Amino acid sequence: MRVFGESASRLAEAGIDPAALAEIEDAVARSGGLPDGPRADVHAHLGRDRDGHALAAEDLVGDMDRWGFGLAAVFALNDAGARGDFAEANALVRASAARCAPRLVPFCRVDPNAGWASAIDRAESGGARGLKLHPVAQRFAPDADAVIECVGRATAIGWPVLIHAGFGARALAAPLAHLADAVPGACLILAHGARGDARAVRDALAGHPGVWFDTSLAVLADLVELPPERLVFGSDRPYGDYATGLQLVGCAARIAGWSPSQIEAVMYGNFATLVGA
Amino acid sequence: MRRTDALRLVAALGAIEMALVRRDDVAGPLLAQAARAAAATPVDTWVAEAARLMRAPGCFGDAPHEMARRSAVQALCRASAQGAQAALLTGTE
Repeated sequence: MRVFGESASRLAEAGIDPAALAEIEDAVARSGGLPDGPRADVHAHLGRDRDGHALAAEDLVGDMDRWGFGLAAVFALNDAGARGDFAEANALVRASAARCAPRLVPFCRVDPNAGWASAIDRAESGGARGLKLHPVAQRFAPDADAVIECVGRATAIGWPVLIHAGFGARALAAPLAHLADAVPGACLILAHGARGDARAVRDALAGHPGVWFDTSLAVLADLVELPPERLVFGSDRPYGDYATGLQLVGCAARIAGWSPSQIEAVMYGNFATLVGA
Repeated sequence: MRRTDALRLVAALGAIEMALVRRDDVAGPLLAQAARAAAATPVDTWVAEAARLMRAPGCFGDAPHEMARRSAVQALCRASAQGAQAALLTGTE
């Protein structure tokens, strides 16, 4: 058994009663009131982060099974390796996805300032289907020339690009708008509902045909104001968990008055459009 | 949930979220305070459990079981914050 994404044995080692915590977890998920239906997760990490967080593919699939998720897009944690090009971490993600096929869809994480072209080439031939960028962790501006080139390459091979748009000091709206305009046809998925600069990003980009938002660790008020046609469920495992992610999206659906088909789009349909089923 | 209770909880849990990420000892007292503020609200069980888990030693350590405990506390705080935010947005009285 796993509770809030942690193994029962580890919770027990911490002096926590896993069964009692699982009852709370069920109540949290139920409080969102989401209906049953197909579910996919566009934002999950595998491997080990420099901050100590870690997640193995088999554990993620266990979490997905418990909460009814058929598919998840997976990419590396912040583990760029000695050369800074995520070569080992991306290889681990691809191998994990192959082991758990077809449940896990590998994305390729790159640093636009460190060997991204060869990383994308290796990932494409290895079956990856998307790109992950983290401007805060890798310290680059979303509208830098190298980023535009990198996103252009991903777009040319049909990949969506998931970009961290959560915690961080920089304003995001203008740089992301520049990036979206500089790469016509790009599919940009702004993580965390773009909570790092939510109002400005929503005003600048919510109607842009190439911009989407994932729900992982987002703010409820932001999700309520974003169009469900542009929202994709995300968990941010192992930082987030499925129960609170379902609660969040369920609350947003209820408050914003999403229709059943809009809920289905957020929970699965938009993922299928962007990543494939 | 009364809107004043929801507002109090949203403010408190936002500060607690950051304290937990920064492994700041102030998270424990803040959570105890939040648990009192949450009494008799729909999220009282979740905040109380988070506060109870925080009282155990080792919540900020790097051992796997300590990280698991912290992760559970964070999830409970997130659930509570989202419940309170929903009450604020729907104007539940």
